[in-house]
Amino acid sequence: MFMNHHFKQTVLFFNKTLLCFTVAIFLGACTGGKSEKGVLRLPMGVDAKTLDPQLVDDLYSFESTSLIYEGLLEYEYLKRPHELKPLLAAEMPTVSDDGLKYTFKIKKGVMFQDSPHFPGGKGRELKAQDFVYTFHRVADPKLNSGGFWIFDGKIKGLNAWRDANKDKAVVDYSKTSEGFKALDDYTLEINLTTKYPQLLYVLAMSYTQIVPHEIVEKLGQDFANNPVGTGPYVLDSWSREAKITYNKNPNYHGTYFPTEAEIGDDPSLLADKGKKLPFMDRIELHIFIESQPMWLNFMAGNLDRASIPKDNFASVIDPETNKLKKEFVDNGVTLDVSASPDVTYYAFNMVDPFIKKAGPKFRQAISLAIDEEERIKIFSNGRGIPAHTPVPPSIPGYDKDYVNPYQAYDVEKAKKLLAEAGFPGGKGAPRLEYEIGKSTDARQMAEDLKRKLAAIGLDVKINVNQFSELLTKINDRKAMMWGIAWGADYPDAENFLQLLYGPNATPGPNGANFQNAEYDKLFEAMRFTYDSPERRETIRKMKDIFVKEMPWIPGIHRIGFGLSHKWLKNYKPGYMGGNVAKFLRVDEEVRAKGVKK
Amino acid sequence: MFAYIIRRALYAIPIMLGTTFLLFLLYNFVGGDPALVKAGKHATAETIATIRMEMGLDQPWYWQYWDLLKQVVQFDFGRSWATNLKITDMVAEGAGTSFSLTFPAFVLSTSFSLLLGIFVAVKRGTWIDKGMVTIAVGAQSISVLVYILAGQYFLAYKFGWFPISGYEPGLLERWSYFALPWLIWLFLAVAPEMRFYRTIFLDELYQDYVRTAKSKGLDSKTILFKHVLRNALIPILTNLVISLPFLILGSLLLESFFGIPGLGGLIVKAIGNEDRPVIYALTVVGTIAYVIFNLISDILYAVVDPRVQLK
Repeated sequence: MFMNHHFKQTVLFFNKTLLCFTVAIFLGACTGGKSEKGVLRLPMGVDAKTLDPQLVDDLYSFESTSLIYEGLLEYEYLKRPHELKPLLAAEMPTVSDDGLKYTFKIKKGVMFQDSPHFPGGKGRELKAQDFVYTFHRVADPKLNSGGFWIFDGKIKGLNAWRDANKDKAVVDYSKTSEGFKALDDYTLEINLTTKYPQLLYVLAMSYTQIVPHEIVEKLGQDFANNPVGTGPYVLDSWSREAKITYNKNPNYHGTYFPTEAEIGDDPSLLADKGKKLPFMDRIELHIFIESQPMWLNFMAGNLDRASIPKDNFASVIDPETNKLKKEFVDNGVTLDVSASPDVTYYAFNMVDPFIKKAGPKFRQAISLAIDEEERIKIFSNGRGIPAHTPVPPSIPGYDKDYVNPYQAYDVEKAKKLLAEAGFPGGKGAPRLEYEIGKSTDARQMAEDLKRKLAAIGLDVKINVNQFSELLTKINDRKAMMWGIAWGADYPDAENFLQLLYGPNATPGPNGANFQNAEYDKLFEAMRFTYDSPERRETIRKMKDIFVKEMPWIPGIHRIGFGLSHKWLKNYKPGYMGGNVAKFLRVDEEVRAKGVKK
Repeated sequence: MFAYIIRRALYAIPIMLGTTFLLFLLYNFVGGDPALVKAGKHATAETIATIRMEMGLDQPWYWQYWDLLKQVVQFDFGRSWATNLKITDMVAEGAGTSFSLTFPAFVLSTSFSLLLGIFVAVKRGTWIDKGMVTIAVGAQSISVLVYILAGQYFLAYKFGWFPISGYEPGLLERWSYFALPWLIWLFLAVAPEMRFYRTIFLDELYQDYVRTAKSKGLDSKTILFKHVLRNALIPILTNLVISLPFLILGSLLLESFFGIPGLGGLIVKAIGNEDRPVIYALTVVGTIAYVIFNLISDILYAVVDPRVQLK
């Protein structure tokens, strides 16, 4: 009797769950469309790690925080090469004749976003003192911001302030350095120890986006989850690994769409010229771990922009012309192509006993054995150009006519150079240990490298590492050769050439531990100067040393391919700022028709 | 029974010690230096040293392990190295999401599989049985990814019956996003589970007591539901209860493809980021869940089978 009853209960339960499931399916079907107006939906490949601007160290966090926070300056949205313009500054700074004092007038009437953590829940006005606080926070020894390098040794008294606070239980912000001074509520003075033209660039980075001190102090470590800035958007919700949503800041001080574009730009880019920003009421950043759902959501019109997944590339881009296929063009999808300010490279550890002994001809031979053009086709779907030097396109100091003779595929010449280096047919050379990260792409590319070097008689052992293992080997100077990339912090060749500056050897960014007195001298001569023919000539000399010594083999400069639906207006690729979303607008009528279609 | 529960709970201590120690050894003596990851691309010796101190990595290994044990006892693992969030909050949130995704799907698939298992066992040797088993073997030999990719492409994108992916934190709002993952779960789980339950029922159906019951003239329904089902409950319970910890830990592939922020994704991300405190916390949660559900399974044996006594 019991079991019969039990079975009936089971059947009843089963029917109920089936009913619930059917209802859920029905609900699912009913909520498939995305018809809300005023919403911009963009994909992100990785979730933000933090929304605390001084702790931001990656592109995704930078884009996520830059909608909420602002700095003194921002990049001109439509200008290439990049130019800076005031954001929280009322105008560009005045600079003293010796280049050591920058004076900024701060925009009046800028309010922090409303927050329950402010008295009465209302945001207060931004003052020059907030800049002094924020900039010291970058140097706070307890916070450990990854951005301290932007000020390290360059701001009067800042390093001493940092050292003085190192052993204190609580960092004392009441005594500040003479490097950052609020002359009054709307005037900020920055005093430098050395000429530092890159200062203006770093004032457009996330590290220098302004935070309200009272909320930082009140929330402590939870400040990162409760951001309050002066930016165009207020954080609405952050569902980790799913999406970040923002609502328009009703008290935004207002910035305006540019009134000038570049020659050759689509004239429609100026349709909104002079209009107050931002345009959209709400921004949704959707996080996709896998590319298929991102792609399908774009195709269904649920996303306004998308990158092209590797697996879908052939179905979207015509391999002959590298242009969008007709069916996408007919549906109003547009393709944007832009050079990424980055470089991939194969680095040698110049203090490794064998690499040191083998000499430059050995490294040049390896460079000639690698077919970078072929690798771009196979591994990047053609999205890249071979790199001849560390400096990428779109950065002043890049010279498209500069030819690195070893950035070519020439097996015979490679064999000849290898013999001249004392290793004919690879004889006498030990097995090269090539370190890579743990990804399928890295593995495939390493296998290709191994095959290519085998053709000139060199044997390669591929070591697959977790990221921290790879960094540890580089830092401990135990790696022999590895593949890595560098993306621009700001558009200046100095940011790339410092990767080979002797004093930056590990644990600094010169992982190759390259030491060359002449290179260092030239770097010191150019690092704190403005772009000029003399500076470019110095950079050219540094490139010559790079080619002669070849502490790395330059790989490629990547090219970004992006897609937009026809209803998305104002997108211009290659913008270095993180706040691109504030310039974008969705034509709701076109979207409504497009999604239905 | 109380003494038994206490004793089993005490067994958890060496299990926990062993698990955490192995994990600790693995990360401390095999992996790289996580401070270098956190220090970023402009690291200096000074920042690396400070970060190591903050992470506690400057301490001798036995102090680091002692700290870990204290965290286990207090069930407070501090903050994530990667996101700086409180780990207990991250785990609670992720476990809730994963469980709300997996549990309804589990109940549904189990109910379906059980009914189908009984049905095909009773129909053993007929074309129904052969047909169902053939379909099940075929269904099992298709990769999980195929179900997910095809389900998402056809049912969500092409036919528009479901959202392609997404998630809403509200309990009521999230169901619509779960419908397709549930359906896919059902397809994935029913074939192997039906075959498993069929085997169990077949084992029972050919026991002596069934023959005896038949010879006494009992009708087949009574034999099936009063005797066979009851005797089959022990392996069924074992299978079900042992599955429960995995429901909390989530389904990595479903979560990744459907953008559901559960523990499955959290585990993979923590491993990728070498976020040791999160990895330790999730391992401890997994171990505790395993111990608890094993205990529940033993207790249930005693409930459903009077021959089993917990001593």
